Amino acid sequence: MTAELTAVGGADQLATERLAARATAPPPRPKAKAGPVEWILVHMTFVVVCAFFLVPFVWLLSAAFDAKATAYIQFPVEPTIMNFVRIFTEHDFGRVLVNSVFVAVSTMILVVVTVSLAGYSLSRLDLRRKDWITYAVLLLQTMPISATMVPIYGLARQLGLRNSYLGLILIHAAIELPFLIWLMKGFFDSIPRHLEEAAWLDGRSRIRALIEIVLPLARPGLGIAAGLAFLSAWAEVLMVVILIDQDSLKTVPLAFYEAMRNQGGYVEVQYGVIAAMAVIYLLPVMVVFFAARRLMVRGLMSSTRGL
Amino acid sequence: MANVEFDEVWKQFASQTAAAVKGLSLDIRDHELLVLLGPSGCGKTTALRMLAGLEEPDGGDIRIGGKSVVGLEPKDRDVALVFQSYALYPHLSAHDNIGYPLKVRNLSKADQEAKVQRVAEMLGIGHLLPRRPGQLSGGEQQRVALARAIVREPRVFLMDEPLSNLDAKLRVHTRTELKTLQRELGTTMVFVTHDQAEAMSLANRIAVLSAGELQQIGTPDEVYDHPANLFVAEFIGSPPMNLLEATRDGDSVIAESGWRIPAPRPATASSSSSEQLTVGLRPEGIAIVPAGQDGGQAAEVVAVEPLGSEVIVDVRVGSQALKIRAAPDVRPEPGSTIGLRADPAAVRLFDRSSGLAIH
Repeated sequence: MTAELTAVGGADQLATERLAARATAPPPRPKAKAGPVEWILVHMTFVVVCAFFLVPFVWLLSAAFDAKATAYIQFPVEPTIMNFVRIFTEHDFGRVLVNSVFVAVSTMILVVVTVSLAGYSLSRLDLRRKDWITYAVLLLQTMPISATMVPIYGLARQLGLRNSYLGLILIHAAIELPFLIWLMKGFFDSIPRHLEEAAWLDGRSRIRALIEIVLPLARPGLGIAAGLAFLSAWAEVLMVVILIDQDSLKTVPLAFYEAMRNQGGYVEVQYGVIAAMAVIYLLPVMVVFFAARRLMVRGLMSSTRGL
Repeated sequence: MANVEFDEVWKQFASQTAAAVKGLSLDIRDHELLVLLGPSGCGKTTALRMLAGLEEPDGGDIRIGGKSVVGLEPKDRDVALVFQSYALYPHLSAHDNIGYPLKVRNLSKADQEAKVQRVAEMLGIGHLLPRRPGQLSGGEQQRVALARAIVREPRVFLMDEPLSNLDAKLRVHTRTELKTLQRELGTTMVFVTHDQAEAMSLANRIAVLSAGELQQIGTPDEVYDHPANLFVAEFIGSPPMNLLEATRDGDSVIAESGWRIPAPRPATASSSSSEQLTVGLRPEGIAIVPAGQDGGQAAEVVAVEPLGSEVIVDVRVGSQALKIRAAPDVRPEPGSTIGLRADPAAVRLFDRSSGLAIH
């Protein structure tokens, strides 16, 4: 016991000394200028890391504009834009894109509306067993989605949701909802209750106060929820493969899959076509990222602040 | 404009063992400025929130203008609340914050504008209207919050410690303004605070709360001069009332230190239980006389605190510490002995077991 106390006291003292040392230490010297060797090493590492991540994109771009694209990176042997023309003429990629955009945007809207209401309810309402509900939502998020493939297929068939936009939108939204509900609950928790109470006293109903006062303040959260919902629905493959086999409803991931399969079986893959599809597939992601990057960074920062 | 009645109001929060408000009955008159005063956790804010409709009472009735408001949404009560945090909408300019309750009421744009401008001028914040709350100082935010409450001309103003986030100088200045404003507008106001000086300076009447129960309601003079019980006696006044345990002896009481204090036996009190007494003496109810003077009680000076307009003398009578308020030129030496004489008119007696005042 005594020894323990001494030890604790000793640690305390050490900490105090460290603090004192820090307090009296001179301000840190400006960083010494890096030598040329250091400079070269740092920049070489940087270039290697960048190259590592950029290589797939370099292949995509070079292959997309090459009539004789292979699985290897090469400077376009036969530069062409025919790959892009072909995906729209031979593969009905326009239709596929429209499907993907429609599904992703609808999912985004459904998710934003749902997480606003659910997050607000979990943050504000006096529900019985609210903590249970809240943890149940989190539990859902931890379930691997592939484990539910079979029941989802069966359910979708029973409900007539196979080969329908609605089925895809619902399941895409359901995949993203648990995490985003938690995220939004955190945002609403960080907005002082007094603000909406003031709005009620100013004469607003609960729902109007939510729309006029609370949601505008939760905009960074809604931004990140919208962005993540769109990107996730845009990229989701598994459920599309399970639920869709009708050509007119195909989305981009399924079009990839079929481009691999149908164009000469697995023997002669049309790499140029696939690369062209991928380039176009990446564009909306870039647009969403650059449009919402400020909002998303702000959202991520304030969502982790409450953790 | 309306009167407000609390009728046997109870409130119990599920998370707490004791009720937050216990059978509160209050009658707040029209045009009155009533201060709910008490230490933190005494239920004063809960009472205010029940009046605003932000909490529902578990029992009893709350009436505004004679009509029960229990079960009514906050928006339907026509009361304005200024929060301690001001609760300004951060995404709206000061102008839009003040105009929000008018927008809610679908007033014409011209009417809204005229009212916002008039109130802003009244509070001297016309130049701040384009700014967002984040660009305003605490005092400016407080004024905008006040303007938002005033602009809609509610039946009752509710104030939840609106001055406590201001610095000391601004607080004193603002409370004077607030009092003038309330008198000019003539709107009933319920003001919550834990600061007894603020309560004394603002109130027409003060309702002192402790542990969810009303201790006393009366004018500032009444609660100061005639505290209903020991809690009020200790809570009101700075420095607080000196309390000495004593026993009755004829027409005086004898403190434990042996100090004989003149206290005529009240005509109504006769029970033997009131023989165990606590004597209350305000710091200004004790006079300092030369040591050894006839009728003076010898006391040792412990410390002297000059406050400019007055001097607080800390003395010890036996083991009992007392604070005495004296004229600014009185400067006894610490360690010296002085004489004390209690002003018979200032002596207050309390039943020691119940804590209640004996009149």
